[in-house]
Amino acid sequence: MWTFEVSHPFAPGLEVRRHRLHNGLTLLVLADGAAPIVSYQTWYAVGSCHERPGATGMAHLFEHLMFNQTVSRPPGVFDRLIEQTGGDTNAATWVDWTHYRDTVPARDLAMVVELEADRMANLLLESPQLESEREVVANERMQRVDDDIDGFADEELGRLAFTVHPYRWPTIGWMEDIRRMQLEEVRAFYRTYYAPNNATLVVVGDVEEAELLALVERHYGELPAADLPEGPPAIEPAQSGERRVRFQKPTAAARLLHGYRAVAMGDPDWPVLSFLGALLSAGPSSRLYRRLVAEKEIATSVHADVAPFRDPALFRISVLLTRDHTPEDAEAEIADILGELAAAPIGDEELDKVRSVVETDFWTELEGVDGRAEALGHYQTVLGDYRRLFEMAEALAQVSAADLQRAVASYLVPAQRSVVIIDPDPELAEDDEGDHEEGDQ
Amino acid sequence: VSAPLTFEPAAGIPLCWFTAAVRVGGALDPVGLEGFTRHTAELARRGAGGMDRARLDDAVDRLGATLDVEVDRDWLALSATCLERNLDRTVALAAAVLADPMMSEREHEVLRRETQHEIDEVRDDDGTLVERYFQMQCAPGHAYGRTIIGTVASLERIEREAAARHHQGLWAPDNLVVGVAGPITPPRAREVAEALEAAVAGRSAIAPPALPAPETPPGRRLYLIDKPQRTQCQLWIGHGAPAYGTGDFLALMPVETAFGGMFSSRLMQEIRVKRGWSYGASCRMYRSRAPHWFRIALAPTREVAVDALLLTLELFEQLAARGIEPDEHEFAVRHLTGGLLFSQATPRQRMRQAVRHRLLGLDPDYPRTIGPALEAVTVDQARAAAARWLRPDDLCITLVATADEMVPRLEKAGLPPTEIIPFDAY
Repeated sequence: MWTFEVSHPFAPGLEVRRHRLHNGLTLLVLADGAAPIVSYQTWYAVGSCHERPGATGMAHLFEHLMFNQTVSRPPGVFDRLIEQTGGDTNAATWVDWTHYRDTVPARDLAMVVELEADRMANLLLESPQLESEREVVANERMQRVDDDIDGFADEELGRLAFTVHPYRWPTIGWMEDIRRMQLEEVRAFYRTYYAPNNATLVVVGDVEEAELLALVERHYGELPAADLPEGPPAIEPAQSGERRVRFQKPTAAARLLHGYRAVAMGDPDWPVLSFLGALLSAGPSSRLYRRLVAEKEIATSVHADVAPFRDPALFRISVLLTRDHTPEDAEAEIADILGELAAAPIGDEELDKVRSVVETDFWTELEGVDGRAEALGHYQTVLGDYRRLFEMAEALAQVSAADLQRAVASYLVPAQRSVVIIDPDPELAEDDEGDHEEGDQ
Repeated sequence: VSAPLTFEPAAGIPLCWFTAAVRVGGALDPVGLEGFTRHTAELARRGAGGMDRARLDDAVDRLGATLDVEVDRDWLALSATCLERNLDRTVALAAAVLADPMMSEREHEVLRRETQHEIDEVRDDDGTLVERYFQMQCAPGHAYGRTIIGTVASLERIEREAAARHHQGLWAPDNLVVGVAGPITPPRAREVAEALEAAVAGRSAIAPPALPAPETPPGRRLYLIDKPQRTQCQLWIGHGAPAYGTGDFLALMPVETAFGGMFSSRLMQEIRVKRGWSYGASCRMYRSRAPHWFRIALAPTREVAVDALLLTLELFEQLAARGIEPDEHEFAVRHLTGGLLFSQATPRQRMRQAVRHRLLGLDPDYPRTIGPALEAVTVDQARAAAARWLRPDDLCITLVATADEMVPRLEKAGLPPTEIIPFDAY
C-alpha cells in the first residue's frame, strides 16, 4: 500500500512526487514525456562509511556483484536484458550511498522494475562470482589509484585528514582488504543493507504515475523491511594543527592538495562553502584560476569545492602545478587570496557574477533524465528529502558577501588543513613511502 | 541565414546552447606544425572585441555562461551554454571572438607554455598517453595520426602572425555550420545564426584537406611506451577502417558492437567477466569524415598483460576469420537501434548530433536513417565486411608499461617490441 507524502514543482507543468510503500520503500517520480525514455535509479543508503577497518571496499565490491546472478537469473542475463533494449546500466558507490542506474526506452519500464526488485532480494552470492569481481576491482584500483597520481593524492588526503571517521578510507578500499574479503562477510552485507526500507527509487521520464505505482508495488510489495543498524557512530575529533605529507612520483609537474575541515551537506554553511568553491575556481575569471593559471602561470588547473557528504568532510583545493613551479609557490598565492577574502567582503559585481555561474551550473546538471534522477536521489538519500535540492538553489542565490567572508575566516585556516604534495621524481624507485613532515597525529 | 542552421526548441529549464562550427580541424596541420589549428582557435578565445583575455573572461562569467573552443581532427567549434535571459549578450561575445580576436603576442606565448604543460598532463595519464602513441603509429604519416594539441617542438614553431591569418581562413562562411537549442522561438534562433554568420562574412574559406585511406603497414608492430612504476599495461591494438557513413562502416557496426561495444560483448566476457584481467575491454571504429581506424583497448595488470594480449589477438583472429554468429548479429542490431533514442533524447543532444553530421559531410538527419539501415544489414553482409576490413596479421599494438618488466615477458611470448619509446619522447 502506498502513502503519498509530498510534491514539489520542478518546471512549468512538471512536479516531483514522493510516495512510500508499506515496507518503507521510497519512490520519487518526475513524469516528463519530452522523450520516450526513462531513467530508473535505485539509491541504497549504504556506502563506504558503513564499512569497518579491515573490510574497506565492501560497498564498492558489492556494487560489482549486483550485476551478476540472482536465484532465477543466470550470470549475464541482467546486462543482456538491458542491452537488448538499447539501454544502458551502470552503478556508482561513494561514502554515503550506492546507486544503480538503468536508462531504457519507456516501453521497457516494466522489465526494469522486475529486474531491480529481483536483485534487491534474490542475489546469489557464491565464490566464483566473488573471485572474478575481486580481480576486476583490484584492476580498477590500479587504474584509478595506483597508476594515477591524482587518485593516489586524493586517497592520501583522506587518510591524512581523518583519524577515526570512515571518510578516512577510500571508497574503492585498501588493496589488502579487497584481497582478503570473505564470502560470508559479503552475504552479511547484502542481508543488512539491501532492503526496501534502505532504498529510494527515482524514476524520471516518460511514465504514467499510477501505472508505475502499481508496477512497483507488484514487484517490491512482498519484500520485507530489514532491521537497519544505527548509522556510523564515528565522530572525527577537532583538528588542532596542520597535517602535511609529501610523496614523489614519476611526473614532470607537482600536485598540491589542501583539505580544510568543513561542514556536513545539511549544515547552513554548506551552500556558503559551495558558493565559495565557485568564487575560487568556477570559470576563467574565478579568483584562483585567474591568479594561478592565467596571470602567474603557476598552475595548469585548479579546483575548489566542498564535499557533498552526510557528515562533516573537507573543503578541498587541488592544484596541478606547471613544471617550473613548486607547491610552495601555489601555497603562497592561495594564502594571499584567502587572506584577501577574509579581510574584506567581495563587491556586488563579483557576487552577482558567481550567482550567475552557480545558477547555470545548477540547471546544467538537470538537463537530462539521468542528471535529474541523480540529483533527486542524492538529496533524498543524503539529506532525507529531495526538496532540499530546490532549497539549496535558493540558499545559493542568497549567499552574501558577509557569509563568504565569515566562512573563509572560520574554515579555511591552516590549523584545520591537511596538505598532500606530490613532487616530480622520474627516477624514483618502487618505494612510495610518504615523508610526514609535521602534524598532530 | 546562408549557413546551415539546426534549431531544436526546448522547454523545462532556462538554458540555451549554441554552436558555431567549421568543417576543418586539426587534420589541416602540416607535419612539424602539429597543434597549429588548435592553438589558433584557443588564441582567438583569449581576448576579442577590444577586450583582453581577463576582460573577456569577466564578461563571459558575468553572464553565467561558458564559451569554449573544441577542436577535432575534422572540425572546430565555438560552443556556449548560457541562461536564456543572457542569450543575446553571450552571442555578442561569441561573435566578437569570431570577428575580432586580439591574437595578442603575450597570450600567444602564454598559450604555447600552457599547451606544453598540457602535454605533461597527457604523459601523466596512461589512458591518454597510449592513445597519443597509438594514433602516431597506427598509420604513420597519416593526418589523422598527428596530435591535435601538438608536440613541444611543433608548438615552438607556431608564429602569432600565421595564427592570425589562419583564423581568417578557418572561420569563413563556406565552412560554417550553426546549431541552436533552447526555450526560444525559431526567429530568435535565426537571429543567433545571423549574428554568428555576420561575424565571419567576407572571408575565403580553407578547403577541408583531401584525406587518403590510412595504410597500416604489413605485419604486427608492437610499440612499448616505457614508463616507470606501472602496475598495469594500457594496451591498444588496431588498424585502418572504413569511413563513417559508408555501407561498409554500417555493416561493421554490429561486428564492432558484438565484439567490444557492450558489457556482454566477446571482449568484455572473455577478458573481464571470465578472467578478471581488466576493468574494461572494448573496441571502437572512429566516426570521422575520411576513413579512419579501428582499435581495441584494455588495461590488464602487468602480471597477466601478455596473456591478455595473446587472448585478445586470438579472439580478433577468430572474428576476422568467421565474423559474428547470427544471434550475435541480431542482438547487436537490436542494441544499436534501441540505443539511438538516447543519443537524441534532449534538444541539446539533437542539435549537437545534427551539427556534427553536417561537419562530417553527412546529412544532419543521417542518425535518423541509421536504424532502418542497420535493420537491413544481414549477417552475411556483416561477415563480408569483417572479412574485407579486419586484418589480424597487420596490426599496430601499443602498450604503456615498464619496459624492464615487460620486455622479457613479451619476448618469451614471441612478441618482441618493434620499438621501445620513452613515455616523454613525444
